[in-house]
Amino acid sequence: MKKQSKLALALLISFPLVMFTSCGGNDDVEKMEEVVEAPVEEQQGNETYYQIPSPDEMFGFIKESGLAFNGELLNPIQNADKYVTPNRQALNFGIYSADLAYTASFEEFDKTIKYFGTIQKLADQIGISSAFDKALLERIQGSLDNVDSLVSVTNSSYFSVVEYLEKNEQGDKLGIIAVAGWIETVYVVANSANYKKDKAAIERLADQKLTLENLLDYLGKYSDNADVSQLLTSLRELEATYATLSEESSGSGISLKKKENGKMVLGGGSSIKITEDQFNAIKAKVSEIRNNIVNTEA
Amino acid sequence: MKQHLNKIIFAVAIISTPIFSFGQYCNNFHSSYCYTSDNEMFKLNGQSKSALFSKGQTSELSIVVYKGQDYRISLCMDQNLGSQVEFKIYETVKKKVEKVIETKSMENEYKKCTACNGKGDNDGEMCYDCEGAGKVETGGEVEVVSKETKLVEERVKELLYDNSADNYATEIEFSVESTRRLTIEISVPGSGSGGTGSKTKLIKSGEMGCVGILVEHMTTPITGFYGTGF
Repeated sequence: MKKQSKLALALLISFPLVMFTSCGGNDDVEKMEEVVEAPVEEQQGNETYYQIPSPDEMFGFIKESGLAFNGELLNPIQNADKYVTPNRQALNFGIYSADLAYTASFEEFDKTIKYFGTIQKLADQIGISSAFDKALLERIQGSLDNVDSLVSVTNSSYFSVVEYLEKNEQGDKLGIIAVAGWIETVYVVANSANYKKDKAAIERLADQKLTLENLLDYLGKYSDNADVSQLLTSLRELEATYATLSEESSGSGISLKKKENGKMVLGGGSSIKITEDQFNAIKAKVSEIRNNIVNTEA
Repeated sequence: MKQHLNKIIFAVAIISTPIFSFGQYCNNFHSSYCYTSDNEMFKLNGQSKSALFSKGQTSELSIVVYKGQDYRISLCMDQNLGSQVEFKIYETVKKKVEKVIETKSMENEYKKCTACNGKGDNDGEMCYDCEGAGKVETGGEVEVVSKETKLVEERVKELLYDNSADNYATEIEFSVESTRRLTIEISVPGSGSGGTGSKTKLIKSGEMGCVGILVEHMTTPITGFYGTGF
């Protein structure tokens, strides 16, 4: 009885507080300011958030660097029905999201539509179909003849999923999807690039060492989840492969300074170097992890 | 009375359900409230983030910026948080450093038994396996501190930019010459909760607000007569 009274009181007190956390507009802030002082659960501690670049950033770059599209690297859409567990569906949602970004960046419109249909279907199965509203689907249909807007809309669908999962506090699922998307991106680049010819793409691949650090830190927050823990094991194997890469100092310390032309430049410090053997080792390891994810017989 | 309470709980739960979910609005604050660049070449970067802050709170965002790209990082916040939100950029690197690690443990206490040679008595207590000078258990325990030098991985931060030295600017644009892992540290001024300590705190609702960090990127434009033959 006493417990119920406390619960009712807590709900009544928290009601205006929760309204405020919407942060929807500044007018409300003025009105609410003097109203409430009550115990509330800490909303955000002094914590660090680890962000993961979306696949389009990498694909946009490698397209500009001259790599050709290779449709054989995509996970066939026919496989989608064969992923039956929620974990495999989430992982392959990430894989297909990267494939969607890949096809959109390289203007493979027919494939983009098919892959969008596939991730929509998987989104339904893993309970995130609300992330794709009708307006988004209409925008996709309306962007078929415009590369820039198609890339923009496919990005919107990715960001929409991220937002939905954050809103619903499903950081573990978001981590699984984002990591699988990243794995597919690295897999595509590693299997498209030629070590001797594609310098920019190879450098970008080496730089993924830093992104991998962010991914590991992000997933580390959810290591109690068995699916995340399994994924972490694979990523740590990849981390061990990346750990063999050396860093070469530029001779000057890192700085963020204005250059003579008035532009701010982040320069100096060291850069990551990769040998052909190391490139092949990373390519083999990332292919192994990716093929385990897309494998339909598992 | 019990029936009334149940009704109150049910009614409040029903009313507050959509509001609880609306309370997550901060998640996409940057898309709605941060100004995007006038330069149409800049694209929204997936590393953008928004969060709910209380006055006096500091939080960090770890992102990766790539060589050959320009980035624009801008900040937007609810007005009640003030106009002097601090925004610092650090480089974060993992470094292997030697560290002396102290470990404490409880071990059996011994006393010397210098009188024995091999096996024998020392003041009435048995002294086993000592060769001339040995030790014997007293039956008590002592705290033992052991030190070990280990190679550990530590995260080191180096300050690159501080907006308090730049008139509290809310945006910065830069080109990247080598890929870096950056930490963006946001501190909201005020004497609020600060963040650490107990999980439940007294926070005035007017002392909280959304902060958004919008990250945009584009390929660094090539300038000059590159490839023109001049």
